[in-house]
Amino acid sequence: MAKKEGCIICQIVGNQIPSKKVYEDDLVLAVLDVNGANPGHCFVIPKNHYPIIEQVPDLEIGKLFNVSNKISSAIFESLGVQGTNIFVANGIPAGQTVAHFTINVIPRKENDGINLQWQPRQLSEEEMSTVELKLKEQAKNIGHFEKEERKTAKIHPSKPAALSEEEEEYFTRQLRRVP
Amino acid sequence: MAEQNISPEQLKALQEKIKQMSPEELKEFQKKQCIFCQIISGKVQSRKIYEDDKVIALLDINPANPGHVLLLTKEHYSIMPQIPDDELAHVFMAAKSLSNSMLRSIDAQGTNIIVANGIAAGQRAQHFMAHLIPRKENDGVDFVLPQKVMDEKEIEAVGNKLIASLGEGEKADEKPQFKVPEKPKESKVSKQPKGEIDLDEISKLLGAK
Repeated sequence: MAKKEGCIICQIVGNQIPSKKVYEDDLVLAVLDVNGANPGHCFVIPKNHYPIIEQVPDLEIGKLFNVSNKISSAIFESLGVQGTNIFVANGIPAGQTVAHFTINVIPRKENDGINLQWQPRQLSEEEMSTVELKLKEQAKNIGHFEKEERKTAKIHPSKPAALSEEEEEYFTRQLRRVP
Repeated sequence: MAEQNISPEQLKALQEKIKQMSPEELKEFQKKQCIFCQIISGKVQSRKIYEDDKVIALLDINPANPGHVLLLTKEHYSIMPQIPDDELAHVFMAAKSLSNSMLRSIDAQGTNIIVANGIAAGQRAQHFMAHLIPRKENDGVDFVLPQKVMDEKEIEAVGNKLIASLGEGEKADEKPQFKVPEKPKESKVSKQPKGEIDLDEISKLLGAK
């Protein structure tokens, strides 16, 4: 397992920090958040250390979200809640506080003090078209997903290139600032 | 999340009606009612960003930020627990790639991925979707996750309930994918992701939550 020294999540994975685990397999761990937004708030984490979602291999993405889904169902079944949220904050401007990719699974009840709503904005036709064009152009690079473990090293020309060092540096350096 | 305007009263009536239906009737009924199924079939116009055999990504017409994308399954599912594992995995692989696209094309400095299951969680539409929201510093979007203090006993009790419930799921035949793999494979990802950054420094500053 690729761990990172000093990472609090890696220490939870490695049992150096005690936690209440609700699910564990070879790649994924789910623990209860002791300072959760609601009782039953879990975070689902890759055992390998990846700061942001872009770095998590597709195979692990699939497993992580499938586990999140099962935990969401278990929350519904066993905690008598009215809903669940799946919440990911990717990067400091998005609210990420720990540099280890985390999926929050949050039990919800009416008026529980959690706000995951936003003020709907009305953009002009031009603004919408501009952003549509830019995103669409970039999304053309999305192709093959690595759904199974790679047996041999293959090159998929259609797969978007990983973030270059510079780009990643630009994106993750945000995480260095204390929120 | 203003996709559909349904009053609480209408929703209640709908829920009552839904309770009386067989699963097949229910799905057909929901599909007919569903604006997103009409978008997917091309009957209603939208701004498509990405599409494959399982998912479609559209621009939200009332976005939290420019570039706010709704990622939908093409198949009609009301809530996430109804989605088969392989399809759900596919959805979030696409979400990862779209998040990457946002960083690369519209100068996003971060992204949020949000799924709401149930009205109390903020779900408005009767079709499963993941919201992908590009973020920038001081963009006015403010999600609040309070940190509640819970005592150990409470955590323990809640945890045990969840574990019991997850265990039942594991035994059930309809959820075979959730079983722990019999042969744990070591070093699936032994290499650090490319593009080394100073993770030590990041960790030092962010380490203590």
